[in-house]
Amino acid sequence: MDNLIDLPDAEGFFGDYGGKFVPETLMFALQQLEDTYDRLKQDPDFLKTFDHDLSQFVGRPSPLYFAQRLTEHYAGPQIWLKREDLNHTGAHKINNTVGQILLAKAMGKKRIIAETGAGQHGVATATVAARLGLECHIYMGAADVQRQSLNVYRIKLLGATVHAVDSGTATLKDALNEALRDWVTNIDNTYYIIGSVTGPHPYPMIVRDFNSVVGRELREQSVKLFNKFPEAIIACVGGGSNAMGIFYPFIQEPEVKLYGIEAAGSGLETGRHAAPLNDGQPGILHGAKSYLMQDKDGQVIDTHSISAGLDYPGVGPEHSNLKDSGRAQYLAVNDEETLRAFHMVTRMEGIMPALETAHAFAALDYLVETFNPTDNIVINVSGRGDKDINTVATMDGISLD
Amino acid sequence: MASLLTRLKQRLDSLAAGSKKALVAYLVAGDPDLSTTLELMHGFVASGVDIIELGVPFTDPIAEGPIIQAAHDRALKTDTSLNQIFDLVEEFRKNDSDTPVILMGYINTFLANKKALESIHERGTDAVLIVDVPGESTLENIGINNSHIASISLISPTTDLKRIAKICQTSSGFIYYVTLRGVTGASNLDISEIEKNIAHIRENTTLPVMAGFGIKTPADANKLSKVADGVVIGSVLVDMIHQQSTQKDYKKIYTYLNEISAVITQ
Ligand SMILES: Cc1ncc(COP(=O)(O)O)c(C=O)c1O
Repeated sequence: MDNLIDLPDAEGFFGDYGGKFVPETLMFALQQLEDTYDRLKQDPDFLKTFDHDLSQFVGRPSPLYFAQRLTEHYAGPQIWLKREDLNHTGAHKINNTVGQILLAKAMGKKRIIAETGAGQHGVATATVAARLGLECHIYMGAADVQRQSLNVYRIKLLGATVHAVDSGTATLKDALNEALRDWVTNIDNTYYIIGSVTGPHPYPMIVRDFNSVVGRELREQSVKLFNKFPEAIIACVGGGSNAMGIFYPFIQEPEVKLYGIEAAGSGLETGRHAAPLNDGQPGILHGAKSYLMQDKDGQVIDTHSISAGLDYPGVGPEHSNLKDSGRAQYLAVNDEETLRAFHMVTRMEGIMPALETAHAFAALDYLVETFNPTDNIVINVSGRGDKDINTVATMDGISLD
Repeated sequence: MASLLTRLKQRLDSLAAGSKKALVAYLVAGDPDLSTTLELMHGFVASGVDIIELGVPFTDPIAEGPIIQAAHDRALKTDTSLNQIFDLVEEFRKNDSDTPVILMGYINTFLANKKALESIHERGTDAVLIVDVPGESTLENIGINNSHIASISLISPTTDLKRIAKICQTSSGFIYYVTLRGVTGASNLDISEIEKNIAHIRENTTLPVMAGFGIKTPADANKLSKVADGVVIGSVLVDMIHQQSTQKDYKKIYTYLNEISAVITQ
């Protein structure tokens, strides 16, 4: 098997993917971040603080929960849920922000910025900034400000400023552009907390490492609960941070199959989707080389997904490498299948998943038949769905006013 | 045909020989349309511009401020492609064989047109400036095979001395010193910092150093021309071009360029 664990290399590459493709002004800050992280990740005090914050502030470990009725419904493998939806602020995103805010503090940065799609990363960032009393600015596409209004208000309540971004497609990629521009301008006093395993090196590595607590817990929990590692792990992929966090600690366990689920939007065949690993080509966006939705002239194509958090034309570079190496497989499910899964899981398990997460559930329709009843498969429940009730109501033709 | 790397070098050498500063002007190809861009390029040269930087529109231009971003969007609305820009430069060369043309853009559009890039020197392009490729990478490093064009690199106020040395080694043509922390069109010039950093650059290279990002008034240009070998004007021009996108009366722009040209040679 390829060596997939000791990545990225010194230049920030995962095989062909990754790197640092940024304007010169940022190179210094990226080096500073890399140096700080290299130093702190072996510092026992830093690790102790991170662990403490994860358990006392986030509420970890998150349970590995047996989905009784889903399992009965599919009459296939045993279906388990890794409950990241139970974390403080309601998603896996907080694992990363709790870690990165410690880096910001160590670097003496007083001003925090972040981009957000679904608003979960915005909430998770505003939360850790509030906890340390730091100034915080969140960039969010104007379209997402509309469809995730609940999270926008949460971010404001937490004392952060929300900047609605009108440029381009007014979604996550444009929020990232704007956050990068802010960073270039305020580089001396500002720390940029990227919300996924995307962006230039060292971000994909840092965000993966902080989220890997999920996969590490799963290693222990699975052995305790069913005496072995799971046969498969299923996670939705936007930028890919919840997936990378649960995949990475199993990369060297070939018996554990890894499935990443992208957003097929209106359907892969329509071109209106957000599934670069299924229907894109390698390209460079936001500082890294990775699979990308682009036209033949290298222009980035508009994406579509029912879920703001997956509505992004790129994907973290490590996923591109996992795809090419065959270590992980990437499927895509469309909006309709996702909505159906959202309702089914809510009714059947009493757990309302985020629309992002609902993509992972929807993939069960395709995947269960390849497993036996003695197999255990785990779905990473990346977040809870409260933020999505407006979107769901609209899709179902119901007015909440 | 003479090697085209020479066109840029010739222009820079002759400016230096006359103790003149270079006026580098930026505009976005295809804003408002390609034939207007061609007209403007000739008009720029007639108004004292020494080197033309043609912006290649991209959907996600992360180093650009709002003015140039909007111009990229407009150029993309009319489907301006990199291949059309190569044609545009070829067309420009029919009436101007001396003014160097640099294509400034983002790596993803260049990589999508790798093959065509191998021969752009034969079609009149002299250099490329790829904003999101760190200066120590050569064109070859990123998979672009063309040793006839220059690769212009950016150095910024945050570039440390070690990187300055590395970047100077791999650059050709000239060094583009980014005068501020920020995106194009911002305004927080710190002349004493600029002077200090350009001095560091000069310890590492004999290449000319152009200063740009955030230059608006003739007074800015005059101040910067005292410490650099030339100035790059961008957002102001792009804004003025947009103001005239329906009337297409560019006299004011040409007057402005003449004014800048006069003050930087003082
Ligand atoms: C609940 C939830 N899951 C998944 C995602 C997608 O991000 P990633 O692929 O980085 O996990 C988001 C992003 O906003 C999210 O809020």
